[in-house]
Amino acid sequence: MVPLENYLILSAVIFSLGVYGVLARRNAVLILMSVELMLNAVSINFVAFAAYLDPNKILGAVFAVFIITVAAAEVGLALAIVIRLFRNRSTANVDEAATLKW
Amino acid sequence: MATEVLWWIFAVAIVATAAGVVFSRSVIHSAICLILSLAGVGAIYAFLMVEFLALTQFLIYGGAVTVLILLALMLTRVGATGLPDKVTGAQAPFAALVGLGLMATLIGVAVGTKWPNDIDDAPTNIPVEQISEVLFRDYGAPFVIASVVLLVALVGAIILARQEEGE
Repeated sequence: MVPLENYLILSAVIFSLGVYGVLARRNAVLILMSVELMLNAVSINFVAFAAYLDPNKILGAVFAVFIITVAAAEVGLALAIVIRLFRNRSTANVDEAATLKW
Repeated sequence: MATEVLWWIFAVAIVATAAGVVFSRSVIHSAICLILSLAGVGAIYAFLMVEFLALTQFLIYGGAVTVLILLALMLTRVGATGLPDKVTGAQAPFAALVGLGLMATLIGVAVGTKWPNDIDDAPTNIPVEQISEVLFRDYGAPFVIASVVLLVALVGAIILARQEEGE
């Protein structure tokens, strides 16, 4: 019997690792992978809360389904932008695509 | 008891592979760690007795999303010339500070809050029929909107990544 706190702590650790990755990494694709980690941490939280605290036990799973859908849309669109950026600038590093910061 | 041991094994594996995603110097190692980490999250869904989500996680994340990411890594590979690229920017120490602070806050809140009856209520199995009923009946409109979001994102991705005339 695993208590609810374990899931929350696991999700907090994954989310913080994702935040570090988003803030520290240079490669845009690696930033996207860190975003995926954060989304997964949020899904774990939703499903764990639903399984332990929701009497119907179902809404968290529905939320997680929508999170997965939106994450798929987001990763497709973002990777298209990264590929476009690479074609125009020959780089996928976010700190080199700084034209506004001339 | 066996469940708890298994849970801890999976939790440690997820955290280790997530750290591999964030700290690894090679992008391919990061991608492989991401696959393992997402599969571990699917196992966590299985521990929470939501089999449908576990299957979805394996299929969508383990299959589709990681293949997309690997494809993008392949297409954006800068020629292997000389020194290996720096993988983190100069802001990395501050990022570590933010991450550690956030982790401390979240864990503090999770442990400090008094959750109601969380020990007695073990997760029970959620059948797929129940999920589909809620998803298609009660949440039909968000479901349709999500499909429109997917369609628009797909069309937008094609338009953005397309090779145009004269490029």
